Amino acid sequence: MIKPIYIHGSGCISIQPTFEAGYFFDALTSYAQNPVPALDPDYKAFIPALQLRRMNKSMRMALFASRLAMQEAGITSIDAVITGSGLGCLRDSERFVEHLRAEEGSSLNPTPFIQSTHNMAAAALALSLGCKGYNMTYVNNANSFESALLDSLIYLAEHPTETVLLGGVDELGERTPQFWDIAGYLKHEGAEIPTPLDDRTPGEIAAEGAIFFIASQQQSYQTLGKVLAVETRLEVDNPPAFIAEFLQRNGVSTDALDAVMLGCNGDARYDGIYRTLGDTLFADLPQVAFKHTLGEYDTVVAAALFLVLGIFQHQHIPQTLLLNEVSSRTLQRILIYTQRRGQNHSVILVEK
Amino acid sequence: MIPTAPIAITGMGAISAIGNHVTENFRSLVASKHGIGPITQLDTYHRGRLLVGEIPIGNAELYDRLHLSPEVACTRSTLLALLAAKEAMEAAAFQPGDGYRTGLISATTVGGMDATEQYYDDYLISEKHQPFIQTHPCGYAAEQMGRYLGISDFVTTISTACSSAANAIMLGARMIRAGLLDRVLVGGTDCLSRFTINGFNSLMIYTDSHCRPFDENRNGLNLGEAAAYLVLEAAEVAKRRGKSPIAYLTGYGNANDAFHQTASSDNGEGAYLAMRKALETARLNPTDIDYVNAHGTATPNNDLAEGNALLRIYGSASALPTFSSTKAFTGHTLAAAGAIEAVFSLLALQHQVVFPNLNFSQPIASLGIIPQTELREKKIAHVLSNSFGFGGNCSTLLFSKDHD
Amino acid sequence: MSELTQELKAKIITQLNLEDLTVDDLDDHTPLFGDGLGLDSIDALELIVMLDKSYGIKLSDPKEGRKVFETVQTMADFIEANRK
Repeated sequence: MIKPIYIHGSGCISIQPTFEAGYFFDALTSYAQNPVPALDPDYKAFIPALQLRRMNKSMRMALFASRLAMQEAGITSIDAVITGSGLGCLRDSERFVEHLRAEEGSSLNPTPFIQSTHNMAAAALALSLGCKGYNMTYVNNANSFESALLDSLIYLAEHPTETVLLGGVDELGERTPQFWDIAGYLKHEGAEIPTPLDDRTPGEIAAEGAIFFIASQQQSYQTLGKVLAVETRLEVDNPPAFIAEFLQRNGVSTDALDAVMLGCNGDARYDGIYRTLGDTLFADLPQVAFKHTLGEYDTVVAAALFLVLGIFQHQHIPQTLLLNEVSSRTLQRILIYTQRRGQNHSVILVEK
Repeated sequence: MIPTAPIAITGMGAISAIGNHVTENFRSLVASKHGIGPITQLDTYHRGRLLVGEIPIGNAELYDRLHLSPEVACTRSTLLALLAAKEAMEAAAFQPGDGYRTGLISATTVGGMDATEQYYDDYLISEKHQPFIQTHPCGYAAEQMGRYLGISDFVTTISTACSSAANAIMLGARMIRAGLLDRVLVGGTDCLSRFTINGFNSLMIYTDSHCRPFDENRNGLNLGEAAAYLVLEAAEVAKRRGKSPIAYLTGYGNANDAFHQTASSDNGEGAYLAMRKALETARLNPTDIDYVNAHGTATPNNDLAEGNALLRIYGSASALPTFSSTKAFTGHTLAAAGAIEAVFSLLALQHQVVFPNLNFSQPIASLGIIPQTELREKKIAHVLSNSFGFGGNCSTLLFSKDHD
Repeated sequence: MSELTQELKAKIITQLNLEDLTVDDLDDHTPLFGDGLGLDSIDALELIVMLDKSYGIKLSDPKEGRKVFETVQTMADFIEANRK
């Protein structure tokens, strides 16, 4: 009953200049810090000042990336907004906590509270684009974007003539990264972008970004690719079996894949999962990484889809992203597999 | 297109300020016994000042009731959710791993904020509460629930402000209809927190007294805390295992008001669209609805917008079906509201009774609509339940005694 | 009085993140809401916080704000009349 959905446009804000026309990872911006904030485009190009003044980073990144996606798809309106965000508008949440801890009982500024709610990016999109249709926000940790993608597949099966704006967004906070550090999530030694994927040091590089897509069930001359299926699983005992079963359910063998995108982020504690897959199930495929250039956040997997669409378009995998020496004649069908800290596993099957 | 297979509801569970389980909630509703009172659990400036719908059980006792080790970091929203979810699963009488693909879709807006706001500085200097750091993200509770309850085929969390749980219930039905799941535990949870109490207070929509939904002189809401979950099943799965449904989820609608970050449009566009869509998916006419469980938060803006949306659907005040808001019983329970009110809607269907809208005395002058203020027995075949939130997120669910 | 209106303009710009505006762009009699500056109900709440924090004046009903915040001039008049 679920049918493939076609992607007609995409937009990405990240710690690389992905929002610049023509940029495709041939040159990378390097960082030696953790966390790494996203690069800011000229938000005023798309967002009126009166709106912009009350938009936190999540909202402005989401709106800008959405405008890029709509521009590429050549459309000016959409029927539904479906988003994912692991942590929502983190900085405003922190700000309101800080205000109330310091001055509970006195007048508190309401704006950080309003803008702390997780649905604010999707709401800003609806408001700014005048979209009164279906509007959803998933907050499913590192599988938030995948939930939004799955909902888009269902929604378009229910409403085959409509167009969906779909995406993921996450921002950094100021205090929260300190908490992550205490919890042992962050990388210290070797905290660099591009991150060495040599299984040597633990931890991830925290980053932020927004990636949005225009999707429908209609193919057009503007189509960048299509998503056939997505699956998530909180815990997986045997990742190769999980992936093999997913492929089987979708009638695709590993031979029929032209490349695989893997979520290695340089965290020595969990990258072994990808190593095992690279040595077994995917040994004969070009293996592509992305988190070592974009950092880690809950919805960064949306950037993998952005990259896959770029690879289809360019028919070329940037050298900066390749993990092995295997080459492929054509680039028509790519599988994305990621997990974070050993959980929130997901697979996404994409075709040109 | 997706076939519109009937969605059976085979279990429900609820904990709120008016009861620790479904039956207790029902008893309070029929006795017009509200649960709004002073703050006793939460450590806040507003203790002794603002009124809330609090569940009078401390976290330590909740741990005990769930047989959780004190070593496990579990925030209050999760504790409440586990109690309600267990009740729903027991009522539906199924064991995860029985061969049916079973999912969990939860909703929350508070997430682990009650821990974060408390230990914000403490985390940096002491190890004591650091295990709670991981509980902050809204997605954490559902993952913990999935592990505790043994549900792993699909787990996700929705956060669309005060319409969150309605959207979780809606997604569950859509996933069953799309053939992705056979059965799904759906609902929402939010505990009280300083964050939300201060937040609504800063918006000047927190009443200094008891909330008065749909009253001309309403001046804001009381917050409450609750968790409620339903078990949705493909009707044929319920039939196969000999489980007779409580009722059916026949309609759902989700729309966005696209008007303002917080305020609803005066004509209630989003609310109107959500109700319209719910009626359309159920293939019912407005006149088929016997009871509307309104969102009715008692803020000046919500009740005006919702009232106008109802008038747009029905044409005139006299054409409106019986309606009431139950917020004066429980307080506004945010992400749990859509789920606790789904349980109340199902109780209305089960017992053929409409629950009163407490604290009402004078209709809103510009609307002239009058909610049901006394308990009323009546024939009820279809109930509409509204949940609207910040960001224009509006959702409506439609519950029916039978399908088709 | 004009000192107060100048001060208010600066405060409004900061409090409401009107970064593109300068004090000189704001006229004493421009409507702050609706077709004037285009402020909304959230801005009104922010201005209520500002009145409290900067001038010790509390408004308990947001509806009162509508008249008070009509223009910079009406705000200044209100503050002059109510300041402690």
